[in-house]
Amino acid sequence: MVRQAALRLQGINKRLGNFHLKDLSLEIGPGEYFVLLGPTGAGKTLLLEIIAGIHPVDTGEIWLGGVNLTHLPPEKRRCGFVYQDYALFPHLTVRKNIAFGLKVNRVPAPEAEKRVEEMAALLGITHLLSRFPRTLSGGEQQRVALARALVIKPQVLLLDEPLAALDPRTKEALQRELQRLHRATGTLTVHVTHDFEEAFFLADRLGIIDHGELLQVGSPQEIFSRPSSARVAAFLGTENIYRSEVTYTDGKAFVRLGQALLEVETSLRGPVGISIRPEAIILSSRPQTRNCLAARVLTIHRRGLFLKVAVEAAGEKLTVLVPPREAESFAQAGDGRVYCCIPPAAINTFPS
Amino acid sequence: MGKAFKTGNLILLCLLLTFILAAIGTVLVRGLPDLPATFKAPPTLFAARLSLVTSLASTALCLVVAAPVAYALARYRLPGKGLLASALRIPLTLPPIVSGVCLLLLFGTTGFGEALTRLGLRFVFSVPGIIIAQFFVNVPSLLTVLKAAIEAVDVRLEYVARTLGCSPAKAFTGVTLPLVKNGLVAGIILTWSKAMGEFGAVLMLAGATRFKTETLPISLYLNMSTGDLEAVMAVATLLILLSLTSLTIFERLGARLGQPATGEANKA
Ligand SMILES: Nc1ncnc2c1ncn2[C@@H]1O[C@H](COP(=O)(O)OP(=O)(O)O)[C@@H](O)[C@H]1O
Ligand SMILES: [Mg+2]
Repeated sequence: MVRQAALRLQGINKRLGNFHLKDLSLEIGPGEYFVLLGPTGAGKTLLLEIIAGIHPVDTGEIWLGGVNLTHLPPEKRRCGFVYQDYALFPHLTVRKNIAFGLKVNRVPAPEAEKRVEEMAALLGITHLLSRFPRTLSGGEQQRVALARALVIKPQVLLLDEPLAALDPRTKEALQRELQRLHRATGTLTVHVTHDFEEAFFLADRLGIIDHGELLQVGSPQEIFSRPSSARVAAFLGTENIYRSEVTYTDGKAFVRLGQALLEVETSLRGPVGISIRPEAIILSSRPQTRNCLAARVLTIHRRGLFLKVAVEAAGEKLTVLVPPREAESFAQAGDGRVYCCIPPAAINTFPS
Repeated sequence: MGKAFKTGNLILLCLLLTFILAAIGTVLVRGLPDLPATFKAPPTLFAARLSLVTSLASTALCLVVAAPVAYALARYRLPGKGLLASALRIPLTLPPIVSGVCLLLLFGTTGFGEALTRLGLRFVFSVPGIIIAQFFVNVPSLLTVLKAAIEAVDVRLEYVARTLGCSPAKAFTGVTLPLVKNGLVAGIILTWSKAMGEFGAVLMLAGATRFKTETLPISLYLNMSTGDLEAVMAVATLLILLSLTSLTIFERLGARLGQPATGEANKA
């Protein structure tokens, strides 16, 4: 089994109507689980279909290991594809859906039968084999679609928002299932989604795509805590994004926030953008030593299990997420005066 | 107030239905008893055979041409596709007799027609002319039915089939074709029954010659002009029965045109 190839996209450009997939280059390692995260309309489906060979590129090249895929038709690329709504063949039973690719590729019947059974067992859908797709639940259809794609032993598995149409519990179960399948088969996987949790749970590495542009690639941790642009930071739900500049005093780096100077860990100089995750900011009723600003509470709203507190400090507005219990301590003061502490490591800087 | 509105509408519905059934019923009542006897008469027998042969041939021709064209219109990104589809639908909007005139001029008076004649393909006043006339008039409606049926099948099913190893043609025959089966059968029956009844275009291009280009509708026309009312009734009855049968089949299949067919009944 040759599964050791890396997938390389080089300078992919594709125009479709008004949409433009711009100059996209990306390398995905052998056996890697790569998640592409981006909002609706970012071009995620289009990119997967380009990798699969459904749409030709305008310019650029696609390589799998040493093989140039750019001009190969989909049937020669060996990419397994799973669509968001599964796209099962409605006129075929589950068994025939899974066996479809084997039959087309003239795999001898006894071997095909065996591989279908094995794949069905791996996905826990053996009891569904004689059913028709429309009688299955979303999660079951998803497993069938995965089995149909995996049974041909694809070199690349392409998953287009595979969990988006599922209820939260099924989604969580299938998320773990995808992880298990990936470990079992070691297939290089490109999974696109607009769901952060899904992305952070599954990804070895993560790419952020928006308006046809690949904005940043890195480990989930890296992207989450160190977005490389205001667009990535905003997409990841960081409300605190400011223009600033880095200055150095006594060998220490500082950034300006409103009228205040905050200590920061960075190697950049001059004008920068900064982003601060709202849950990394600490509110307290007493001043602390480093990077602590006197602040005034503007509003408090619930957001899930947390409270979303808007404060004003040093002439800037900041959004802070705090657990409700912590909020009590400074809410007691009553006059809305708090201290807002921002650990230097929590301040992310990026070139502006 | 609302009640009067509803009653008025329903009364008109009943009147219209009565009108239609009365008109058809009159012919059926008089034609049905004579049907077996007239059917043994050589002219009617000839006409029935000729209609059957030409309609089957033109339906086959329609299918062979319309299926690929419908696929192209449904699936490919073509410049000016809307205009293209409208142009292909022109014969549907022309009175058939005008279509016949167009064909007569094309095949009878142009260099193209003469070239075909030299090759031994004579369409004017001939049996092949009947087939061509039926084809010209009927191909747009089959095209429309097939295009709608193909469009109703999610193109991504074909994409998935491609990634699983199908060539474009194989993806069509393996996935789309089984899913448009109902639309296909409905379209074929519609086309065939329209071909059986085609008169105007056939009259213009192939003429109305007894025992030569005498299809059932032409036969009806000739019998009418010679005053053979019994034969008129019999042929009309036959054509009505054909139409009613194919209408029933078409509606049954056509009602499910929008949905993908599921093939066999589900066993689960
Ligand atoms: N066949 C097409 N013709 C024109 N534009 C298209 C076509 N398919 C997709 N698009 C456009 O490409 C953009 C990206 O679409 P898509 O890849 O489906 O986004 P995503 O999957 O990230 O939601 C969208 O703006 C969409 O309107
Ligand atoms: Mg999409």
